[in-house]
Amino acid sequence: MTATSEPGPMGEGRQQLRPGLWATVNERYPGSMITKRDLVPLAPLGKPLSECRLTFVSTSGVQAKGSVPFDTVHPVGDYSFRRVPSASRVDELEIHQLKYPTADAHRDLNVIFPIERLQELAAEGVIGGLTEHFFTFIGYNMDPERLERTLAEDIAAAVSDEGADIALAAPA
Amino acid sequence: MTEHAKPPRAAFAPFMMGHHFGVPFHRDLQRRIIEDCLDLVVTAEQSGTIRDLPLTWAQARREGMEIERRLGLRG
Amino acid sequence: MSLQYLKEAAAAGDGEKLIRYVRLHFGDGSEDAGRREIDKGWIQALLPLLDVPSTDRAFILETLRTRDTATLAHLYFHLHFHFVQRSGEWIHDGDL
Repeated sequence: MTATSEPGPMGEGRQQLRPGLWATVNERYPGSMITKRDLVPLAPLGKPLSECRLTFVSTSGVQAKGSVPFDTVHPVGDYSFRRVPSASRVDELEIHQLKYPTADAHRDLNVIFPIERLQELAAEGVIGGLTEHFFTFIGYNMDPERLERTLAEDIAAAVSDEGADIALAAPA
Repeated sequence: MTEHAKPPRAAFAPFMMGHHFGVPFHRDLQRRIIEDCLDLVVTAEQSGTIRDLPLTWAQARREGMEIERRLGLRG
Repeated sequence: MSLQYLKEAAAAGDGEKLIRYVRLHFGDGSEDAGRREIDKGWIQALLPLLDVPSTDRAFILETLRTRDTATLAHLYFHLHFHFVQRSGEWIHDGDL
């Protein structure tokens, strides 16, 4: 096991696992990578976890069966999101995306979309509850300006409307 | 990537794509990753904090395979 | 590549940049793989036509006549992936 690093300001003493990846992606897909200069102000929690409503936002492409599949073929990407009922069973969900290996997710969806683990944490009172929906999109979107203007704004509004105190966000 | 995106709090596990919450059937690991994230929500003191989770991919895989053997999912 | 990059290439008539992007998209980041995928798609589309089965030409002609260009272009991309998937040689992670 590796030792836990002390939480600290990012960038100091961090060893890149894949040095040069950023440069490579930017070379192959120039202008596609989002670069931010500013930090988001840290919002303190203000109440115990056990009273917080949690939402989950994911680029896994997990969606309810029967919902319109994410568009994996469009050359410029898909800028839509799906609402996934947080009470869903895993057999009610499916994955439409082409950018990460899904064999293990098909065996146990929780490796990329830990819906059962989050349901358990809520049931046990570790967290106060879950928002009615989780939110998913896919990571293939080559226009970062459109992504920020549409998808990011849409999800932020949707998360806020569902009264989330905490958002757990994960890439895929 | 995380450093470029600059989320206010981030936990990082050195796992392969498609496995950010661990390996199949390893409920304990999946839960621990989430709990570490929740702890960071409570304890992080400055924006841009990135915590490295005390896990290796090799260890996660080994534990996962052992769990699958016990469950009879692997020979 | 950003939309801006592609639009500049389109305005400049830089076909090489545009087709390179298509190959990268089809080839999961590899241009060489993308070339092979394009060939594979066409081979798979050729195979069912070798015996000249009856096809729904009315549907095809109606679709071409009535659908807007963007929808037809999007369909073209869907058809590529559809036929590549039929080959049984799937180079992408994940599912359509």
